[in-house]
Amino acid sequence: MTLAATFLGGAKSRLLPLSIPFRFFAAAAGFHVLMWVALLVGASELTSFRGGLGPVLAAVHLLTLGVLTATAMGAAVQLLPVATKRSLPAIWPVKLLFWLLLAGLLPLIGGMIVSSTKLLIAGSLVAFAALALFAAVLTENLRRAGGLQIVAAYGWAALVSLVVVAAIGVTLAVNYERGFLPDHGAAALVHLILGGFGFMGLLAVGLSHVLIPMFTLSAAPDKRWALLGFALAVVAISLAAAGPLVGSRPTLTAGTLVGLAAVGVHLALMRRSLATGMRKRLGLSFLLVRIAWVMLPMTLVVGLAAAYGAAGPNGATLFGFLLFIGWLLTFLLGILQRIVPFLASMHAVRPQGGAPPALSELAAAWPLKLHAACHLGALAVVGTSIVMESLLLARVGAAAGLVGALAFAWFTADVLRRVLRTRRS
Amino acid sequence: MRHESLPRDDASRVWRDSDGLHIDVRGLEPPEPMVAILRLIDGTVIKDALVAHLDRDPIFLYPELDDRGWAYETLPSGCGEADCEHTFTLLLRRMTS
Repeated sequence: MTLAATFLGGAKSRLLPLSIPFRFFAAAAGFHVLMWVALLVGASELTSFRGGLGPVLAAVHLLTLGVLTATAMGAAVQLLPVATKRSLPAIWPVKLLFWLLLAGLLPLIGGMIVSSTKLLIAGSLVAFAALALFAAVLTENLRRAGGLQIVAAYGWAALVSLVVVAAIGVTLAVNYERGFLPDHGAAALVHLILGGFGFMGLLAVGLSHVLIPMFTLSAAPDKRWALLGFALAVVAISLAAAGPLVGSRPTLTAGTLVGLAAVGVHLALMRRSLATGMRKRLGLSFLLVRIAWVMLPMTLVVGLAAAYGAAGPNGATLFGFLLFIGWLLTFLLGILQRIVPFLASMHAVRPQGGAPPALSELAAAWPLKLHAACHLGALAVVGTSIVMESLLLARVGAAAGLVGALAFAWFTADVLRRVLRTRRS
Repeated sequence: MRHESLPRDDASRVWRDSDGLHIDVRGLEPPEPMVAILRLIDGTVIKDALVAHLDRDPIFLYPELDDRGWAYETLPSGCGEADCEHTFTLLLRRMTS
């Protein structure tokens, strides 16, 4: 009987070639660097940003589409076929998805930076096509995710948000040229709420129900509480998105308060997973995850305060910064630094009759330490720059974030290099 | 023929058969199959081999097994293949003490 050399059987047949998920992760690492470059360039408008074309809006979309969505795409196309026990019928739609995302994102970002509405509209239309294709891939997989009720429920809600977010995005782009929307700012706020909390937030929280217990080696969260958390989250996002649409601050407030309740349920479930898990030493990645968990309720509290003008002159800016960088990006980077070596290990070639490379052998520690220090430093310094409206602090913070992003890109490239080395030896 | 059933804290079923120790984690939601198997191999009941009955490929389990010095091999399931619609069978063996 061949031991160790026999690997995965059915799962391996469902593994996509290494280049497929890693092209998304590599692109995400590159866009992460570009995001901090855009914030550094746009530091003068960063501290009081309220929307409008320019490098800060470009940075927001480099993060949301370039980093968060690209990562979600790479992970989804790799993991969902294994989870649902059905191979993807073909690889070409995934390749098309990648190129559509790039082909949409680049003109979209260019249009925002140089204030070209033609580029903006063209980019938004191609990005919409990429997101629609991703929605189709997700739909196909979610239909089969029978044994993953909570994750699937969050997935469906995220999917609905994704479609609406993409449609509003195109509408906003066209509105820059035609000006037909009665309230561009309100539509942009709905776009932000459904993108940040709806699509990406629900995906992050939903996947946490499997990922966090998997990392901590604990039982799955209690299903009744998880369903309650899901229901509260959906109600919260619906109310919060409806508020700006109908011009009702009480509706937005109700959505935020219900959102805080949803966050409370979710964090209690995650805390229980940490407390009961077999693995207690969770490493640097969970430092980022824990800080992201602090940022999530803080985002809502600052958002609520900003809605009532009680968060200072730049409260709205701070709310957006906490949402996208404090909560979503910090959480994603914490999870990604565990997932990337794992996915890479599945593609590593084992020496004849020998053990496979350990996960620790597939990733160097120093880039992650440097990244964590720089990312957390950037979070604190840029956050302070927004409160104090300090251009110097905004530049220092963005520069620290850039160094951290370069370290994370090095980490991603290094993992890939080490896996490829196992194939050559 | 099933022999001695062993008590468990979770919803998995464990029994000792003529060919060794078995664990059935079918019907459990991820990541509970992985956690149940790791609890068993980290415990004292098991010596050096285990047959695990799952309903999907436990892809996140493999690195954990590697780290613990366990080898693994897919076994033919009820349908004659390694990977049927509703069952996936793994033979796990301790490689290092």
